[in-house]
Amino acid sequence: MKDINETADDFATEHGTGLSRRAVLTGAAALVVPFVFTPARKGAMAATAGAGSIGAYIKIDTANNVTVILGASEMGQGILSGLAQLVAEEMNLNWSQVRAEHAPASIAWPNPYGNPLFGAQLTGGSTSTRGWYAPLRLAAAKARDTLIAAANLQEGGVWALGQGGTLTKGASSITFAQVVVTASGLPLPSSATLATTTNFIGQKMPRLDVPSKTNGTAVFGMDVKVTGMKFASTIHAPVQGGTVKTMPASVSGTVLYNLGTAVGVLADDTWTAMKLAKSMASKITWNVPADPNAADSAALATAAQGLVASPTATAFAAETVGSPSVTPGASSLDATYSLPFLAHATMETVNCTASVTANACEIWAPTQGQQFIPGLAATITGLPTSAITVHTTLMGGGLGRKFETDYVAEAIKLSKLAKVPVKLIWSREEDFKNDYYRPSALIRVRAAVTSAGEITDLIYRNVSPSINIQRGTLPANNPEDTGAVAGAVGLPYQIGAKLIEYVPLVPCDVRLGYWRSVGESYNTFAVESAVDELALLAGKDPLAFRKGLVTGPNGNPRALGVLSALETLTNWSVAPASGTARGMAFLSGFGSYIAMAADVGKNSAGQAVVKKVYCAIDCGIVVNPDGVETQIQGGIAHGISATMWGEVKFVKGVPQVTNFNKYRMLKIGEMPEVAVKIVTSSEAPGGVGETGVPCVAPAITNAWAKLTGTRLRTLPLYPGATMGDD
Amino acid sequence: MATYKLNVNGKSYSVTASSADMPLLWVLRDKIGLTGTKYGCGIEVCGACTVLVDGQPEKSCDMSVQEAVGRKIVTVEGLAADTNGVKAQAAWVAKQVPQCGFCQSGMLVSATGAMKAGHHGSSIVPELNNLCVCGTYARIKDAAKTL
Repeated sequence: MKDINETADDFATEHGTGLSRRAVLTGAAALVVPFVFTPARKGAMAATAGAGSIGAYIKIDTANNVTVILGASEMGQGILSGLAQLVAEEMNLNWSQVRAEHAPASIAWPNPYGNPLFGAQLTGGSTSTRGWYAPLRLAAAKARDTLIAAANLQEGGVWALGQGGTLTKGASSITFAQVVVTASGLPLPSSATLATTTNFIGQKMPRLDVPSKTNGTAVFGMDVKVTGMKFASTIHAPVQGGTVKTMPASVSGTVLYNLGTAVGVLADDTWTAMKLAKSMASKITWNVPADPNAADSAALATAAQGLVASPTATAFAAETVGSPSVTPGASSLDATYSLPFLAHATMETVNCTASVTANACEIWAPTQGQQFIPGLAATITGLPTSAITVHTTLMGGGLGRKFETDYVAEAIKLSKLAKVPVKLIWSREEDFKNDYYRPSALIRVRAAVTSAGEITDLIYRNVSPSINIQRGTLPANNPEDTGAVAGAVGLPYQIGAKLIEYVPLVPCDVRLGYWRSVGESYNTFAVESAVDELALLAGKDPLAFRKGLVTGPNGNPRALGVLSALETLTNWSVAPASGTARGMAFLSGFGSYIAMAADVGKNSAGQAVVKKVYCAIDCGIVVNPDGVETQIQGGIAHGISATMWGEVKFVKGVPQVTNFNKYRMLKIGEMPEVAVKIVTSSEAPGGVGETGVPCVAPAITNAWAKLTGTRLRTLPLYPGATMGDD
Repeated sequence: MATYKLNVNGKSYSVTASSADMPLLWVLRDKIGLTGTKYGCGIEVCGACTVLVDGQPEKSCDMSVQEAVGRKIVTVEGLAADTNGVKAQAAWVAKQVPQCGFCQSGMLVSATGAMKAGHHGSSIVPELNNLCVCGTYARIKDAAKTL
């Protein structure tokens, strides 16, 4: 198990936050700073709330509703609701009086709204419950004790916590709202005892945002309305990495705005703006990268094939055990796995609303990366960050795409240039063509196994373009890019001698980014396919084989726990339905352990069909088991789409997918039955938002190998599929 | 610029559109301010823009404002006035269907349309030609079973 500082460091590296280790450590050490009263903040909160407030994160209004203000962004994972459950538990609230809101963006350090795990106000890496679980509970407990102290002071006598936002003394009862002003003048206690009740934690509480998402009232970024706003559309270079070279100032009365990497137009509605923007394409010329092969799928694949055999590679020293040696033979594996570039394809295209005036800048953004926005806006507008306000809206899916700020910058620039508030919505075509794509990967695994089921040697080499190199956060030569090999390092499997290597695929001009389950989305496919192949070579059952790898003096009880739970859940020793075969995979990642099995059959065209998926997960203490189940269901759907069809190809810099019609995704009739078993655990909470994705691909191809005898090592399984396909 | 009279959720609207072929989707969102109907693809594939037109689910990204004149349009904001819509919404809440929620407006309109056409229970599911990237399909199936 990693300690908190290592995890934070990994996060900074994997997610390119640019935070130094020292800065991260400072953030980690300052867990409760955001919850301490400061007079300025208290005044501000009281002024905006029109009632007393307590702490930066917990607001109590005159109606005795308790609002939790959170730095994490809601993109469908249910985080606002889940974290609010923690506060409800500590304060013994009624669920109907609980509210949750996004916090404003801050760039202060320590960031008062930052994730306590790593300090910054970012949502990614399945870290929100992990980061806030303990600090938010403690903050709420301190708030509760302060309210009790306030009642004692204001009302006299000894008051106790009641139910539903009340305090009681004998038969008397008062509300939090009645003492909150007094409480806001008291210092917070230095410590507090956490509640021992389980009214909310571990309970299937209904999500706070669900009703608004069934009646059209939920406000996503795309739905923001600002008085006087114009509707904007932008177009970008036809090839990856292009910038504006020449453009007219206006065409037939339509003003064109040069945004550097895009050209924008304004109109009185989005449709007209999109139509105008498209019609301008022929009028613009672009500077394009010199080497078209640097964003060409075929050329990059050829380069990767060469690098798989390159004598030069970066070895991860902390992973190296002994000197592995693999000679070809009946008990050794030499297999190469290949995965494509992927688009995020969030249902809501990227969009942002901005209002820039001479002395202020206000931004409404569906964002996972608030931390970056005030500084970005200050640079564009020339205003101090104190003049910049960021409102985080609901996101129609984030999946890592909305961690980026390219679309935010465009909206700010447009508003500044046009001197009106603008709502910029990217067309689906621009969204697909200008994504931050999940890196492609070519992964060679060489390993030797004994008939006793021991992996004696492993040489693992990942060749893939590097997000960190592209962003300048790691050098292009010899980078220890832990993000690129996430899912292949820190394996709980006992392996004799081991070497984990990385070779960056450079140059690569395909714009790269973080895609739900990041490095694990490709490395776990290689690792868990290879482990299955090794089990076959050893003549072992794949589940028993994996159990053997995590059992013993250096074993891993939590890994063994989920494997055993999967065995029970699937009734493993009994074959699945006729015409199907069962494959499995395992992952230790995002602070959780997961084992997954897929029952796979064939459709009339002879293609793989996933009939049922079983999942056993140990994600530590569970806040909302319903949330865990739905995240796993969603991760499985996402994983099936990527396994079967997901791919964006590039030809000389031009992305070949421009809309959903050519980006086949799972349809409702294809959703398999899903059985989820949550393993009871008292360990610290682990992540679940991404954890369900990585095992899907290897579970399917492992099942397919069993069903047909054919090993599939290249994803997607069915390239070129369209949404019109059955 | 011309003005069009529309009936949306039982109310009359007079809207000015730049062109007769302006899609109903953008008239609803940008002219009337009913933003519950979503833009997802603009090419009738994803279904996020689905509305009821005279009781039938239609993709509003491909229906022009001119075609919408004289028709009864119901968006997700109007489902509360439809017996089937209310039932579908309640089932969605009971089964905690939405995750990001962006596709659910179209999904619920499609489900309501299917119910109005006589479908119930699991027979609603094949009628839902709506994409959900979050993968709420399992819960949608659970919800449909109760309808």
